[in-house]
Amino acid sequence: MWSYALKRGGATAVTLVAASVVIFAFIHLVPGDPIYILLGDTATPDQIDALRRQLGLDQPIIVQYLRWAGHALSGDLGRSIFFQAPVLSVIADGVETSTLLASMTMIWVLLIGVPIGTIAAMRHGSWLDQCLSGAAMLMASVPTFWVGLYLILVFAAWLGWLPSSGYPSIFEGGIANLRYLILPSLTLAAPNAALILRLTRASMLDVSREDYVRTARAKGIRPWQVVRRHILRNALLTIVSAFGFTFAALLSEAVVTETVFALPGIGRLVVQSILRRDYPVIQGVILVVVVLYLAINLVVDLSYRLLDPRVELQ
Amino acid sequence: MNGRGTALLLAPFTARPIAMIGLSVLLAMVVAALFAPLLAPYDPYALDPAIRLTPPNALHWFGTDQYGRDTLSRAIYSARMALLIGAGVVSFAMATGVPIGVLSALFPRLGHVLMRAVDVLMAFPSLLLALGLIVILGPSVANSIIAIGAAYLTTTSRIIYGLTLRLRAETYVEAARSMGARTPWLITRHILPNLVSPLLVQASFVFAFAQLGAASLDFLGLGASPDIPSWGNMLAESRTFITRAPWLLFFPGMMIVLTAFSLNLVGDALRDRLDPRFREMFGGEG
Amino acid sequence: MRSGMGALMRGVVTMAVALFLNVQANAAEVLREATIGEPPPLDVMVTTADVAAVIGRHIFETLYALDSTYSPRPLLAESDRVDEGGKTIVIKLRQGVLFHNGKELTAADVVASMKRWGQFGARGKLLMGNAVSVEATDRYEVTLKLSAPNGAWKTLIADVNGGLAIYPEEIVSKAGAQPIEQKDYIGTGPYKFKEWRPNRYVELEKFDRYSSCKEAGDGFAGARVANFDAIRFVPVPDVGTRVSGVQAGDYDYAEMISGDLFDQLSADKSIHVVRSNAPIFGLFFMNSKEGILKDNYKLRRAIQMALDKSQAQRVAFGPKGLWDAQGSIFPQGSFWYSTAGTEAYSQHDAKKAKELAKEAGYTGTPIRLLVSTNYQAHFDEATVFTRQLAEAGINVQMMVVDWATLLKMRAQSEQWDIYVTHHGFQPDPILLTFLNPTYPGWWDNPEINALRTELTNSSDQTARKAAWEKIQALFYEQVPAMKVGDAYTYDIASPKLKGLNPNGPAFWNVSAK
Repeated sequence: MWSYALKRGGATAVTLVAASVVIFAFIHLVPGDPIYILLGDTATPDQIDALRRQLGLDQPIIVQYLRWAGHALSGDLGRSIFFQAPVLSVIADGVETSTLLASMTMIWVLLIGVPIGTIAAMRHGSWLDQCLSGAAMLMASVPTFWVGLYLILVFAAWLGWLPSSGYPSIFEGGIANLRYLILPSLTLAAPNAALILRLTRASMLDVSREDYVRTARAKGIRPWQVVRRHILRNALLTIVSAFGFTFAALLSEAVVTETVFALPGIGRLVVQSILRRDYPVIQGVILVVVVLYLAINLVVDLSYRLLDPRVELQ
Repeated sequence: MNGRGTALLLAPFTARPIAMIGLSVLLAMVVAALFAPLLAPYDPYALDPAIRLTPPNALHWFGTDQYGRDTLSRAIYSARMALLIGAGVVSFAMATGVPIGVLSALFPRLGHVLMRAVDVLMAFPSLLLALGLIVILGPSVANSIIAIGAAYLTTTSRIIYGLTLRLRAETYVEAARSMGARTPWLITRHILPNLVSPLLVQASFVFAFAQLGAASLDFLGLGASPDIPSWGNMLAESRTFITRAPWLLFFPGMMIVLTAFSLNLVGDALRDRLDPRFREMFGGEG
Repeated sequence: MRSGMGALMRGVVTMAVALFLNVQANAAEVLREATIGEPPPLDVMVTTADVAAVIGRHIFETLYALDSTYSPRPLLAESDRVDEGGKTIVIKLRQGVLFHNGKELTAADVVASMKRWGQFGARGKLLMGNAVSVEATDRYEVTLKLSAPNGAWKTLIADVNGGLAIYPEEIVSKAGAQPIEQKDYIGTGPYKFKEWRPNRYVELEKFDRYSSCKEAGDGFAGARVANFDAIRFVPVPDVGTRVSGVQAGDYDYAEMISGDLFDQLSADKSIHVVRSNAPIFGLFFMNSKEGILKDNYKLRRAIQMALDKSQAQRVAFGPKGLWDAQGSIFPQGSFWYSTAGTEAYSQHDAKKAKELAKEAGYTGTPIRLLVSTNYQAHFDEATVFTRQLAEAGINVQMMVVDWATLLKMRAQSEQWDIYVTHHGFQPDPILLTFLNPTYPGWWDNPEINALRTELTNSSDQTARKAAWEKIQALFYEQVPAMKVGDAYTYDIASPKLKGLNPNGPAFWNVSAK
């Protein structure tokens, strides 16, 4: 087990280094210049050169990379060109919103996806199963922002029940501010619940074909107990790992939803930093998300191995 | 393609009425795209500010937008962009994913390097990857195709890699190898023909997700140039008018949903008819 | 396990209660303003971004300020004297004015600020380009010597937007070309900088030791009283969101609302509509340095001939009350208003345009139109014009990019033939961008240069007005840029706000009682 963990950890580290080179290289291929945005449209050439030197943008790209990677290792992701503040603190400001949004979304996903998926699997092949699976497929085919816009129209503009956008921190306005996240989290939940629903159904069907389940059934244990004790519990392993990935993905894939609802999260930070050519922030966010992604991947992988002895190592 | 392939193509739909509906919607979309000039009641670019933002009526079935352009005509012309993006992304994903997958499976050393590279790409969440590429390449239709295609390059090459590994282990391929068959012959004669049906399944799913991806990029203003009619652009443009003209968002949105849903239905039907050995590569359901 | 859960639940409940109580305790009076987006650094001297100026105007002050008729009146200055036919300007400062760091404002601060502004300030060259020397001739007296008189000097130093904001000497001389850092946002204004939380807000707090002018407040000029404990500028890029935010009471004030909502909002009792008192106008710059439009005045006139400017404005700005399709660069009622050349403003004659283009030797070569979507009005105008030009057989190809890319591309003359921007209201023609020969578009030839000198180097307003009329006629003959038309932007506010400033969002003298 330990040697496997070491091996997987090493592979992850290699992937991370390769990914960091990719992140660094491609951001520097971008057209457009942060200097113009900083200095405004009437900047003089002298002014531009001076600022370029100060920000280190005149150095060879290799030097810039090594400097950046070295600092990143010590937790310093550089300074945002636009905000003139450490990148880490800029990102940290978006973390609260993104984490809460992702968590609330996962609650909806859990409440919708797992029970309905279980029902569909238990009624496998019936018209109910077909309807539920069809509905899931429909949910996965809808653009999230489109749903979001209509949710705003109905619940914020027409009914006035919920705020349309923005999110003041719960540390400033109390947890009642969570109401700002209800519509966006529902928007994000739709396609992800569909995914989890289909996955729950599929993995339960897989498990139900296993020998030990057949044995349990043959021993005359009641069907719902078989579902609860044997099938669901084992299928949960797959579902939980999918949860891990979905959560990690949500932190960045909420880009469009955060834009629609004007949420101060990481996704919107990426889009706006792209438009402002704020290289250090774009790099920082992508790096943080990739690290998170790989870490969750590694943890899921190892826990799989730890929890389920049937998983073979390759 | 041989008779078996053709049968496989049609059989799933005759067996499932809902998949048949999906197929018809897709055909309708292709017809709309091909014959847009004949079907559209107006020039999609003709503007008339005097009748801007009119609700659906007898003259303009889907209403008019903020320039007074006919929304129905623009929606019909947008089918072209949807088809182009879908076909483009599928071609890109296939043209890159198939060689990477097949070669990696046949040549383990090369495969080690290539699949590692795919792993690195997979470390990036797909939307983040697409956004990053768009920023480097600049927003345009062609670049949307590349950016979204890159996200599906990884899944496609992994699936093809897995399938080819299995095929390689098949006895008849082993037999051909042991009889001294050369690799190109092996690929064209034994590997590729067997990949056709799983590739069709993958193509329909990628086509469906490409619609959603392109709509997101258009909506963020990072996709097709906003003067080109596309469903995503129509949504982005009418977004500010949602309280004044809610119908403007309804029609293009429905078009995206219909297209993506139909493709998913078709893909699902095709998958269920796949060889069970291949089916599990797609997260096989029973 | 069970008791562990209980403890956790109790912890959560306690935290929730604490958070709720926190709201109740927060009784300080805060004004919340929804801005159109995250501002660039608030170094207002070097940036011309309106978002930065709106916030910066509360922190930094200028020697003069514009009143509600856009005439300059003393703010940090007390009096002035002009000698040697306008070549020497002596400004006396008000005494006892304190910076936010407690230091008193003296002539040394003004001299240092003027030097940096002249070198790096966005609009600094307009005045300081002709400066021979600037010196502190007394603790409270600054003397500026020019090589030629400047008829608009007072107006040029009367606004913070790219203008001569006065910073403390030690900060301004340290900064040089680099933007001022956040900790150095120190001015003399009625509010001081408190904190900047990226993507959330910029917060200013009341400056207790503010020393105000004696005259009554009028526009941006006169006395300034801070009635709020703090002002929070919240970036809200989406218009719909800004509107619903004010309706719901999340914001007290929101900037730049789209024209299509004007009628609806004007009828809404829960909202107060604040229309600006000075128009902005769209500008389509032509490339005078390179490409198909260079020196081809006939083709440029053909392009202008084909356009119906009111159609573009109806799409971009909505109801008739918010725009005016008129060709004078300055609006009616302004001292600079003139009809010289304006008959060519909006003819909408496709046939004549086609003939004119043919005479100009145009054969259908695509004309590249550079436009960004960051400003919806720019894109709307470009879309309408492209269509109108197509009807006149003039082939325009839109290149749609984001604003940052446009700023970079427009500086490269080989990249474009026309680009779209807009111009804010200016109190004096000297400040118009298209008169600046180094501004992208590069209107630079003997005729305009002679007229420009005539306009600048005189302090006699009648002579200057005559020069301006000749410039406007030339503007319609050579078409260095096309004016789209006057547009009045509007903001919305909660009805409880009293004393809103007619010149734009500025929240001194505003109260919520």
